Amino acid sequence: MLLRILTKSLARRKSRIALAVVAVLMGAAVATALMTVSLDVTEKVSLEFRKYGANLMVVPKSDTIDVGFPGVQLGSVTEQRYINESELWKIKAIFWRNNVLGFTPFLYQVVEASDGNGTQDVVLAGTYFNREVAILEPYAPQDPTLFRTGIQRINPWWRVDGQWIGDPNDTASAMVGKAVAEKLGVGIGDELTLTYRPLVGAEGNTTSRDVTVVGIITTGGVEDDQVFVNLPVAQELTARPGKVHTVQVSALCTKCPVETFAREIEAKIPSVEGKTVKQLVDAEMSTLGMVEGLMLMVTLVALFASALGVMTTMTSSVIERRKEIGLMKAVGAERRKIVALFLSEAAIIGAIGGAAGFVAGLVLAQVIGISVFSTPIGLHALVLPAVMGLAVAVALLASLLPVRRAMGVEPAIVLRGE
Amino acid sequence: MAGDIIEVEGVRKLYGGGTRALDGVDLAIKEGSWTTIVGPSGSGKTTLLNIIGCLDSPSEGRVVIDGTEVGHLGQDALTRFRKDHIGLVFQQYHLVPYLTALENVMMAQYFHSVVDEGGATAALERVGLGHRLEHLPAQLSGGEQQRVCIARALINEPRILLADEPTGNLDQANGRNVLELIDVLHRDGHTVIMVTHNPEIAGMGDRTIEIIDGKVSSDTRRREHPHAKEAA
Repeated sequence: MLLRILTKSLARRKSRIALAVVAVLMGAAVATALMTVSLDVTEKVSLEFRKYGANLMVVPKSDTIDVGFPGVQLGSVTEQRYINESELWKIKAIFWRNNVLGFTPFLYQVVEASDGNGTQDVVLAGTYFNREVAILEPYAPQDPTLFRTGIQRINPWWRVDGQWIGDPNDTASAMVGKAVAEKLGVGIGDELTLTYRPLVGAEGNTTSRDVTVVGIITTGGVEDDQVFVNLPVAQELTARPGKVHTVQVSALCTKCPVETFAREIEAKIPSVEGKTVKQLVDAEMSTLGMVEGLMLMVTLVALFASALGVMTTMTSSVIERRKEIGLMKAVGAERRKIVALFLSEAAIIGAIGGAAGFVAGLVLAQVIGISVFSTPIGLHALVLPAVMGLAVAVALLASLLPVRRAMGVEPAIVLRGE
Repeated sequence: MAGDIIEVEGVRKLYGGGTRALDGVDLAIKEGSWTTIVGPSGSGKTTLLNIIGCLDSPSEGRVVIDGTEVGHLGQDALTRFRKDHIGLVFQQYHLVPYLTALENVMMAQYFHSVVDEGGATAALERVGLGHRLEHLPAQLSGGEQQRVCIARALINEPRILLADEPTGNLDQANGRNVLELIDVLHRDGHTVIMVTHNPEIAGMGDRTIEIIDGKVSSDTRRREHPHAKEAA
């Protein structure tokens, strides 16, 4: 009988109920959109951050000397340490391998750069620009055995005049930082001679290599003072075959701290240690926190507006149906049955508005995804029950005052003919 | 007193602003009797009916219905008592406009206990509306609507039927039909209390109580209610 009363009562007041449903719909749509985006945005924002460079630095583990004070140790200064290039594939063979977006090794050496007119000491950096690395023992059998990586992949924001060194076997090209290019007065297409002189007393011979400048790099950082060549060029020039100094890793980490990556890499390659780029990680976390906070605020405001809409509708419904409520009480309806009637109406309004708002919210989420992040937003199964629950809860909460008013209607009004 | 189903003693009803709607009313009503209440507008008749009908509580005094003192019951307790003991018929019918005749009767069943569509249909057939079950109130005449109200008032088998000007909005023919129906219910043993302005209708009761300025001004007994049940 309650169902009959409910359906007929709602059908009779279609336009008023429609207003309440629209109010819930709008709140639910905003909640759905922002909840969907929020669940996806962590990854999206992290991906955006990854465009600004690596957030993890892998360096050789240094020997330490205990100097006798608790917690105070000195690193070894007597021995230059390296990472074996042959072990780098292991970075992509850890448990969180799918979150390793890229890595690139660096071998640094101060060399002389001359263009025929002058000579300048510069930092030579041998690296991967954009090449495939063979994963010798994938973590899982189904994992790919090749991984394309390099600085072009993990630092897409670097400004390059000219072009990147595309061929990993190219031993005749170099990219120079903007400051180096200005000091030497070289431009794209110019030739440079790179000369490595071992320190006095050190092993090795002086070696030189002629390279052609194919690109000029501007980062605003230390890279502007460096000359970049393919890693084998630097290894050969400095007589350090198969060695690198550091590896920059770009890790997408939304559900785990970057430190987890560092520990995993250390376990996989015992001779290295991972150091997080704290400022970048902190900025990332802080930005994510702000974005999520903003979304929560907007959702709360939208739901509050929905609640006001439902409350207005339910209040006018109670006023309009005062005589009907009085009649129901007069013929035997206890207050709990009046409460059940109005809260059921509110729940139906909430459920219809919630379902419609969910659909509208998914569309809105895609609009946000494409316009803000340039990619569609993925759907999450949890959002539907969460939004339905929220919509019904908001409708019920917004009905509490009107229902209280309904409870106060005196049955005697029907006999008074008011 | 033995056989009294309703006892009202020293009942006063004061409203905000000092309005005194009832001012010391005493009366006792035998079970199975038909009592009519008359009086000018604003005299307190409807207030008295509200209090006897458990729709309102007295400010002072004692009201005992079927052995239960109801004067100080809370709202829900009054509602529970009312739905078990009292059927109400209103001058303006007061049917839920979006429910059919049958559903209006079933609604009273729902609020009382369980819905029984067969019982509701039988109640409407009893008041001559077996052919109008699925009609909305707006599709029924005034007399038909009032008969739906009577069916609704009786569906939970109360012993007391209160009627506030039940023919006030009806033409003569429909009014007569409704009164005949009430007479049948009275003969069946229901205690009937009816507020009316019409002296002729008032004369149909076993007894007529006149209320003026919130007090019983006259109490006329025409006959010893032949259908009344005496207490053992």
